[in-house]
Amino acid sequence: MKVALRYLVRNRRRTLLTLLAVLIPVYFLVFMFGFANANLRDMFETATRFDTGHAQIRAVPTKATGAAIPLMRDPSDALAALAEVKGIEWRTVRLDLPALASVGDRSRAVHVQGVVPEEIGPVSALADRIIAGSSLTAGEGGVLVGEELAHLLGVEVGDEVVLLGAHPETALGAIREPVIGVYRAPEATLGRTVVYADLATARQLARSEVAATAIVIRVAGVASPRDQTTLNRVVRELRAALPAGYEVKDWTELVPMVATYMGILTPALAIVAGIFFALGGLVVLNTIYLSVLERTRELGLILSLGASRGRVVKMILAEAGVLAVVGALGGALTGVALILVVEAFGGIPLWGAAAEFMREMGMSSVLHLSADPGQVALAAGAMAAVAVLAAWWPARRASRLEPMEAMRYVD
Amino acid sequence: MSTSAVMRTEDLWKIYRTGTAETPALRGVDLEIEEREFTATAGPSGSGKSTLLHLLGGLDRPTGGEIYLDGQPMSDLSKDKLAQLRLTRIGFVFQAYNLLPVLTVLENTAFVLELQGVPYRERLRRARAILAELGVEKYADQFPNRLSGGEQQRVAVARAVVSDPAIVLADEPTANLDTKTSLDLIDLMRRMNEEHNTTFLFATHDMRLLDRVDRVIYLEDGRIARDERVR
Ligand SMILES: Nc1ncnc2c1ncn2[C@@H]1O[C@H](COP(=O)(O)OP(=O)(O)OP(=O)(O)O)[C@@H](O)[C@H]1O
Ligand SMILES: [Mg+2]
Repeated sequence: MKVALRYLVRNRRRTLLTLLAVLIPVYFLVFMFGFANANLRDMFETATRFDTGHAQIRAVPTKATGAAIPLMRDPSDALAALAEVKGIEWRTVRLDLPALASVGDRSRAVHVQGVVPEEIGPVSALADRIIAGSSLTAGEGGVLVGEELAHLLGVEVGDEVVLLGAHPETALGAIREPVIGVYRAPEATLGRTVVYADLATARQLARSEVAATAIVIRVAGVASPRDQTTLNRVVRELRAALPAGYEVKDWTELVPMVATYMGILTPALAIVAGIFFALGGLVVLNTIYLSVLERTRELGLILSLGASRGRVVKMILAEAGVLAVVGALGGALTGVALILVVEAFGGIPLWGAAAEFMREMGMSSVLHLSADPGQVALAAGAMAAVAVLAAWWPARRASRLEPMEAMRYVD
Repeated sequence: MSTSAVMRTEDLWKIYRTGTAETPALRGVDLEIEEREFTATAGPSGSGKSTLLHLLGGLDRPTGGEIYLDGQPMSDLSKDKLAQLRLTRIGFVFQAYNLLPVLTVLENTAFVLELQGVPYRERLRRARAILAELGVEKYADQFPNRLSGGEQQRVAVARAVVSDPAIVLADEPTANLDTKTSLDLIDLMRRMNEEHNTTFLFATHDMRLLDRVDRVIYLEDGRIARDERVR
């Protein structure tokens, strides 16, 4: 060990280079994972909070349903079954109807979403997204339109909109409601198509007192895509408890694009990590190999004096081990420090087209970072292991030198 | 067969093969080195002195014949066992590059003891004692590159004798030294031989060193030409 440290001090430049070869990949990975974590959480939040929830109870579609969400004519039996299942943090009933919105001679195909305003409050950002007028109040009429739709229809708060229900499973209903508020959607398509109304108002459009299309639920203890097992367990229980004619869809089925993106992100990160590890490993291999070559004569002497091959391997691995541990720790610390500094300044705000793209995707235009201790440890540990492994081959070569030949070696 | 022979060779052959060329370096050497003997091997360049020392030290394998160390044949030993034997039974002094540049004089001296697993305090104590005997204890905490060639060779002798080997093999230990320093080094080895009863066998070109030894083995063309007891 003493010999190992002395050699590290003797060639400081190479030591520094090797150290950086270990440090930099860990640093970048910690940073990249930090970004991906926050990004995933943000996407998951956006996907599950705004409309979708963690899962939804829906009616099993029939031939008549077409592209719409099938209608639950009376979901009281499903609600009763749901009440028996443990771990449900929150639920709300929703009625989602395809409709035609008309103002004067302008009309657009929209979705009317009937919600219970006091229920969605704690989990939906809708109330915070109102940019003009006010939000919905239970039992009172009026609708909320997205700013895009308001623009397309040319309406402002106070104007009236005619809505024509077009759900294939209901009788045609028509209502005339005032626009009481305009909201800003996280995603432009939503803003063009979703019209919010009180559940009772929407039911008039379906000409039913009790109809719904979904019971939206959130499950306790589910905060990120990594809590999927908890979610799956509750969904399984729920499926078993529900009467026939209902099905449960979780967010991965409801917003498959987000789920797919998340599914791609993980292997993509793994590949990038693999490339970083390989590059770091190669640099370590190269520098350790050079250092072995450089002291061939000294290794020859050590072997001549009777050091065992295992001893020589250990000596060189000890050197690599010191570099690996110090480098990996350094990378982890600097990486986490960078994340903390960035977050202390409130994240990285995007601007221009990038910011617009994020908004289109329904995500925040401020990039956040979050360090996960498990991931940081994994990145640092894996890189350290790769570094020691990379040193193993030169170490083995060093231990197999012929002592006399090695002592004659001239550099 | 004498029971006090530390090393004994029987019809020892070494033929170097490089490509198609064959160089016979040793051609049937029969030799006995007695305990506590202080022996030099001399002979013209290329006569096989270094080859003989390498074979005796287990640094290379003979092409034919056998070497016995303490009566045990060495050809039976695996590479690892041979390394173990070098570590515990043989001391080496080479012509140059004897010391590890990253270790101090004291650490270099204690290095073989460390390899042997001697505890830290014990090995430093023994290393310090032997350095004192050889008059280089004042350099104990210096790195080898600060020492003169003669001082470095003294440290090499210290390192070779510190673990009480059965025999110290020295291949031209004085080749890079001036006459006075060479004679001093041989005297020092002689003192170690007398005070510690260490057996020495060294190779040399330098005829002036030969009146200080018990016995001279002259090699010529890989054979023993003469084997003289001087004292
Ligand atoms: N590794 C080797 N490969 C091939 N030939 C070798 C090797 N080592 C020595 N020889 C040859 O073996 C013969 C004996 O060499 P050796 O080094 O033993 O002689 P020496 O008596 O030590 O000579 P010197 O006084 O020059 O050191 C020489 O002809 C030499 O060229
Ligand atoms: Mg020689």
